[in-house]
Amino acid sequence: MPGDDQQSAAARRDAGVRRVSRMTWRAGAAGVICSAIIAVAFGHHAEAGTAPPGSGSGTITVPNQPPTSAPGAPDATSGAS
Amino acid sequence: VTLGSVAQDSFGVWSTTAVLLVTDPAALGEARAIADQELAAVDLAASRFREDSELTALNQAGGASRPVSALFADLIATGLRAARLTDGAVDPTCAAALASLGYDRDFEQIRAGTAAPEAGLAAGLAAGAGPGAGPVPGWRKVELDASARRARLLDGAQLDLGATAKAWAADRCAELIAGRVGGGVLVSLGGDIAVAGPPPDGGWRVRVTDDHAAGPDVPGQTVAIAQGGLATSSITVRAWRSGGQPVHHIIDPATGGPARTCWRTVSVAAGTCVDANTASTAAIIRGEAAPGWLAGAGLPARLVRPDGTAVTTAGWPAEPAAG
Repeated sequence: MPGDDQQSAAARRDAGVRRVSRMTWRAGAAGVICSAIIAVAFGHHAEAGTAPPGSGSGTITVPNQPPTSAPGAPDATSGAS
Repeated sequence: VTLGSVAQDSFGVWSTTAVLLVTDPAALGEARAIADQELAAVDLAASRFREDSELTALNQAGGASRPVSALFADLIATGLRAARLTDGAVDPTCAAALASLGYDRDFEQIRAGTAAPEAGLAAGLAAGAGPGAGPVPGWRKVELDASARRARLLDGAQLDLGATAKAWAADRCAELIAGRVGGGVLVSLGGDIAVAGPPPDGGWRVRVTDDHAAGPDVPGQTVAIAQGGLATSSITVRAWRSGGQPVHHIIDPATGGPARTCWRTVSVAAGTCVDANTASTAAIIRGEAAPGWLAGAGLPARLVRPDGTAVTTAGWPAEPAAG
């Protein structure tokens, strides 16, 4: 019967809309979870990153320029303690 | 104290002297407050002589994994990096070796209980005196998971982060002070020097010599630096007697004893104070191979033999002619 066909089509349409809705919701939820994971990861690294610049280098860092001779009274002393 | 356009503060820390210089005298108070806070935090994390430090807790954990703070994780990572970059010459697992030589408490207490290092001690130390308790466990026995902030010591390894932690703290204080209060800053922690921000005209003038507490008239050389760090390691200052033998605090990981070295004192300039300290300590341990190693790394350095003669590398300036 035509009425049955119309009801069946409407049911299939409703089921499809629900399926799309569930997929959309799941994708959104997955995005939120991924965002949270990324935020935690980056937040953690930022907190852990208290090392001064250069101290994480894979080689011993050289100065931009070597020391130069300096006449006159010193500002400070470098020696063992 | 204000010296020309530079203001200075000095204070005791970790059995040694800290010196703080800033090019903006008005910033000295805030700079000191920043330094105090950072040094207190490093002490609580990494002191070998505090029962409540994280380092003591890890050393006493019996090999169990323990949580560590972000700061302590950085300090451990810095010690491990120093070991890696020096092929293990600078090793953070020398605590038990130092303790076996009697360096098991604050050095002020050791210094107070023994005579001052006598003349000629440097020659005796360099000639090979000093026992060795056997190889130290080694830096590979330290497990650090920086992202999970957990650490573990294997096979009885015990951490001593003294050398790298002090230099790290100098770098950290200099960077923080320059960033927060502006201007140029020099931080010296027992002679481990870090500078940041714009230097005064002509750079920061630094006297390099055996002892950071020495006056300007003792043998040495004055140089200027504008950036990075400058550190000096010597076997003559933190030295004492153990079982009648002269010993010092720079441990050769291969023997577990004081390094037998041809150098009395080594000063190195580097991109950071940590790197300068790492290189100067490694140079003492590497002995005759040190000048070639430093030159190959492009590190300006001054190495002094027990008789006072000096060797320089990688653009370190020549000493002015005497006279």
